[in-house]
Amino acid sequence: MLKIIHFFLAMVIVLPVYAFALDGTKLLLEIDRNLSPESYESYRKLINIEPSGAKKEFTLFTVKKGTDKVASVFLAPASEKGRSTLRLGDNMWLNIPNVGKPIRITSLQSVVGGVFNNADILQLDYAAEYDVSKVEEEDGGYLLHLKAKTKTVAYDQIKIRADKQKKLPTKIECLTEAGMLIKTLYFKDVKDFGGGIVRPAVIETDSPLYKGYKSVMIMAKVKKRTFKDEVFTLTFMPNLESLR
Amino acid sequence: MKRFGIILLAMLLSAMSSATMAEETYTFDLSEIEKKPYSFAGYVETRPVFYGLDTDAALYKLRFFDDANRRTLWEANGRVRLEGNYEKNILRVFGRLNTDLQYNDHIHGSERTTFYEAYLSAKPLTSVKIDFGKKTMKWGKGYAWNPVAFADRPKDPDDPEQAMEGYIVATADFIRSFDGPLKTVSVTPVLFPVYEHVNSDFGQNNKLNAAGRLYFLFYDTDIDVMFMTGGSRPDRYGLDFSRNLTTNFEIHGEYAWLKNIRKTVLDSTVVSNQVEQDAHSFLVGLRYLTSFDLTAIVEFYSNSAGFNRDEMKNFYSLISRGFDAYQITGDLTGLGRAGQLAESGYARQNAMRNYLYVRLSQKEPFEILYFTPSLTCMINTDDLSANIMPELLYTGITNLELRLRAGIITGKDNTEFGEKQNDYRIELRAGYYF
Repeated sequence: MLKIIHFFLAMVIVLPVYAFALDGTKLLLEIDRNLSPESYESYRKLINIEPSGAKKEFTLFTVKKGTDKVASVFLAPASEKGRSTLRLGDNMWLNIPNVGKPIRITSLQSVVGGVFNNADILQLDYAAEYDVSKVEEEDGGYLLHLKAKTKTVAYDQIKIRADKQKKLPTKIECLTEAGMLIKTLYFKDVKDFGGGIVRPAVIETDSPLYKGYKSVMIMAKVKKRTFKDEVFTLTFMPNLESLR
Repeated sequence: MKRFGIILLAMLLSAMSSATMAEETYTFDLSEIEKKPYSFAGYVETRPVFYGLDTDAALYKLRFFDDANRRTLWEANGRVRLEGNYEKNILRVFGRLNTDLQYNDHIHGSERTTFYEAYLSAKPLTSVKIDFGKKTMKWGKGYAWNPVAFADRPKDPDDPEQAMEGYIVATADFIRSFDGPLKTVSVTPVLFPVYEHVNSDFGQNNKLNAAGRLYFLFYDTDIDVMFMTGGSRPDRYGLDFSRNLTTNFEIHGEYAWLKNIRKTVLDSTVVSNQVEQDAHSFLVGLRYLTSFDLTAIVEFYSNSAGFNRDEMKNFYSLISRGFDAYQITGDLTGLGRAGQLAESGYARQNAMRNYLYVRLSQKEPFEILYFTPSLTCMINTDDLSANIMPELLYTGITNLELRLRAGIITGKDNTEFGEKQNDYRIELRAGYYF
């Protein structure tokens, strides 16, 4: 009898926690899929804005496949044109056409300067890199607390505030292991890109580490597309623009 | 008056609100991303350089023997690079034409225009690409040196990010991707002709050389194995690797085995001898990013085909004797011989055996966006001479790159950098992309 009571008590304690964690993971997967199809192409404009108002713009063509493959090629400005970046899981490379072979880069560096780093530009699905540690409901939305699956992920912790109906992020805070805020991403201007893709078209970011600076990412022509795995290889990097 | 104040306040608030709205409106004109079958681009550069000369140095005496009171040298360099690209179906034609201009008050002007790259590509499948024409192969993982870049010209370690001229080749890439620890395999065979008007400066003429590279991405590590054979240069085999240990720490390495390399060396009586030996060349390096955005690149390069300290001393001794003979009798024989040996390898960059390269660059210090100061040291670990290069780079104006750089030489007599022609140099490079 005692065993049955113990079992019942254990189930009472464990089951809701298990169910909650499962909900969090499921919610994160839904957010990932709402942000983008698993495989897609898109165009992006990155704008770095200095406190003086001075701007520098970059245009990229990006392709993604599955949870861990993403590649981009710069289309503008002329000084960056043809540069390409590739990410396979934790591995990242930069190919500068004039200079030489692709070199390994790190997620915390930035190929464009400004507040966006390489991990932001070559963003994988959040569920591929993070586990949901807690989900809360607040102000009519969700607050997901994420913890990096490995030490190689750019941010140790992430807090995602998501719209309850649309299940799309509205604000993401990126934190260090000690809980220090590195940057905040604001998701704005939800737009219908066609093909069932409805997602924020603008992502703004600022950082206490770069006071007064702001970077903006604008999405265009996001559409589902499948690619061969060979596209996501070092050897293919110089040819990424041929996919346009 | 009160009404006027309210109206003024309302107008101010309205203006602020409009400004905020304007600030938050971002545009992405889709005409910017429209793809055309052709494209053109270019780059122009001006690079004035001031040299403070070392009148006691061996290479000063070799170059300025007839102008031996010269203490400084001004040099103006210019570069124009034009490139064009045309794509139709699976075919692509690409050309990059480079013109270098140089003027200094010693040898006056020079101009060289050449295609750095000009090739035809066919991409019948995503996993297959065939190229024919002049192109750079870009093998190797090192930043300053690439001992395994068998089918390329040597990099300039003082400026390793400069565009390079390629060779005329026929080559292809075959790529396969897999699931599991082995993610990618690619094969790159190369046919490398060396004839009278084709790659004639590469090595022995009238040979059709073959080279190849096999690339793996295995357990998150880039691995390449490569070879070159055919007779224009001695056969050579190599391998390289690169791997991220953490998000901010990368390691890489290269190893090359060169069979039966021949080189001309001077003995202590400054008599030239041809020696033949197998040579082993390797490089190990790392790239590390600190939490405060300082990137460190450190590489150690060893080349057993390089000259040892005695061989270099003998070369400097030959110059010194030749210079003295010229001063006394006007006889140029000794300096002429030294000039030939300099061209054959003694005066090439990093002609000795062991080097340490350290580059520290701080991204955007003091929150100055697009500003990167850096410090580069090239140290000859055989004789402990060095070239120290502080640098300021600014890329804040779209398509304009400004770089101010100095080079300060340290080294005793009879050391590699101590015998370079200058004590220091200062250069400003302004490059514009269009």
